[in-house]
Amino acid sequence: MMSALHTRLFGLLALCWGSALIYFYHSQRIQEYLARDFHTLVLAGGIGIIILGLYSLINPQEKKSCCDHEHKHDHHDHPHDHNHHHNDEGHSHDHDHGEEEHPGDCDHEHEGHGPVATYLLTLVPLILAMTHTQDKLSNRGMAKKGLYEAPALNGLNAPAAFTREDLKKRVPKNEEGEFQLQLFAAYWAAGDREVQSIYEGLPVELEGRVAPEKIGNEADDRMRIFRKIMSCCAADAQFVGVSMEFPDDAKRPAVDEWVKASGILTFETSDNKILPLLKVRIVIPTEEPYSEFLLRQ
Amino acid sequence: MTDSTRDQLQDGSYEFLAIFLEGLPFIFLGTLVSGFLGTYLPRNAFEKVLPKNPILAIMASGLLGAVFPVCECAVVPVIRRLVKNGFPVSCALAYMLAAPIFNPVTAISTFKAFNDSYFVVGARLGMGYLIAVLVGIAILRVAHGRFLKPSAQAESGHEHDHPRNLNSAMNNSLRDFMDVGLYFTIGVILTSLLKTTWIDPTTDFWKGLTDNSILATPAMMGLAFFLSLCSTSDAFIAANIGNFSYAPKLAFMVFGPMMDAKLLFLYSTVFRWKFIIILLAALFVLTGGLSILAETVYENYWESAQP
Repeated sequence: MMSALHTRLFGLLALCWGSALIYFYHSQRIQEYLARDFHTLVLAGGIGIIILGLYSLINPQEKKSCCDHEHKHDHHDHPHDHNHHHNDEGHSHDHDHGEEEHPGDCDHEHEGHGPVATYLLTLVPLILAMTHTQDKLSNRGMAKKGLYEAPALNGLNAPAAFTREDLKKRVPKNEEGEFQLQLFAAYWAAGDREVQSIYEGLPVELEGRVAPEKIGNEADDRMRIFRKIMSCCAADAQFVGVSMEFPDDAKRPAVDEWVKASGILTFETSDNKILPLLKVRIVIPTEEPYSEFLLRQ
Repeated sequence: MTDSTRDQLQDGSYEFLAIFLEGLPFIFLGTLVSGFLGTYLPRNAFEKVLPKNPILAIMASGLLGAVFPVCECAVVPVIRRLVKNGFPVSCALAYMLAAPIFNPVTAISTFKAFNDSYFVVGARLGMGYLIAVLVGIAILRVAHGRFLKPSAQAESGHEHDHPRNLNSAMNNSLRDFMDVGLYFTIGVILTSLLKTTWIDPTTDFWKGLTDNSILATPAMMGLAFFLSLCSTSDAFIAANIGNFSYAPKLAFMVFGPMMDAKLLFLYSTVFRWKFIIILLAALFVLTGGLSILAETVYENYWESAQP
């Protein structure tokens, strides 16, 4: 049986969850977590959850047992004969119904946890996560999602044939005549010998965020420019990066800064992996784009 | 606090919020549907719709995802309520396992992620459907009490006069939402903890597996379990997760939507833990075996048949 008080407490919890969704949507922090397609869903879900919570707060229905016999307990109150124990199937209750027992007959809902456990196990982690997140991964987290990895070699997911004419038709140029190539195109070219031969030695401009370089940076003349790719949420995000090699006199951007980096795109082999490398001509700061994430499709 | 701990806390919080924010609206949608189904759907309504032959009924249920596409989070509360309303458990299980894979959204995302590969899409959807139907058939003769939680079993015996009104539907929805939301959150906590502390697909261990399908296939299923990705997006990860052959990538995309760390807890709202563990093992073996078989078919027949 769910008492009116429990219904109200659960309604309040639903209100908190819904408010969290609305907050992330309204503050636009949602952009850092979910792909654009999901933003409206979060708003709609938040509104729906709030309506459900409010409805339950205003109009709590006491769930009556569908059997004739009384169940006067909740999860913290066992006035009649119960064996209350924990086993390998989690938290369970045995009831001594005597002759009135109807196994599986009624919608007992005894497995549901009480409001205290539900609040502790859901609201506390949510609040902790909201206070500890910085709306982005650390450099260590980005590294685990591929920031310093070479692209998978062309094979199972081979792209369609691509020619130099396609490049000229599809990719715009900046005032200096450099191709404004998407960063991920430069990255994935390292996994495709054919595309690589088209991009090798190409003057390009890449846009992205800056991270320290950890590969082939013995001379301390390199940094990494990168973007995020996300299909649904940040949990499936991948990071793709291109190493930037600076001439001695070039001004270096700050870590985490958004930049447009111009130079010559080339490819180098390190540990039997082919990696893209931008030999930098100039790097200029730029505004963060509307959404940091790049969608694959 | 060390830098490493601070990074883990930051990353864990970020991962937790990403999955929570994405999943909660789907959980809500699923529980809203389940609440209204529980209130308004007449008991045993499916007897009129499903084929009388139980195996045909299971096969038909496995196809329902194509008509009612739902993700793996939303499908659990729906089938929980359907089972209580008399939907055959074997059919519900087939629908629950197949729906996240055998649906148009997953088909399109897989097709795009693997650069328009009909083979990968066909193999993924075919395997998902086949495994779901096989599991459904396997439990056909097993007593429901052995794998369903008492609270999830169909109501039978004396008739109940449940009110069929908005109040009752909203109340059912709230109860389902709280039950499923709780287990969902526990699953998300576990997933984000594992992802930020233990799982690292960029380590030499994973890279060393690329040339060995037999070892890489179970390893990729393990990875799918811990990453707990959505079935509509996991194909993009699978396509780019290293130079693996077909078998490990297929295993990743078929096993993950059927069983992962977050689903483990969601399933516990319907099934007994013992059954969930047996299901995990069965899915692991079936998916692994079929993935390696699919790769063999590709190498020996499909590739040579292409113009």
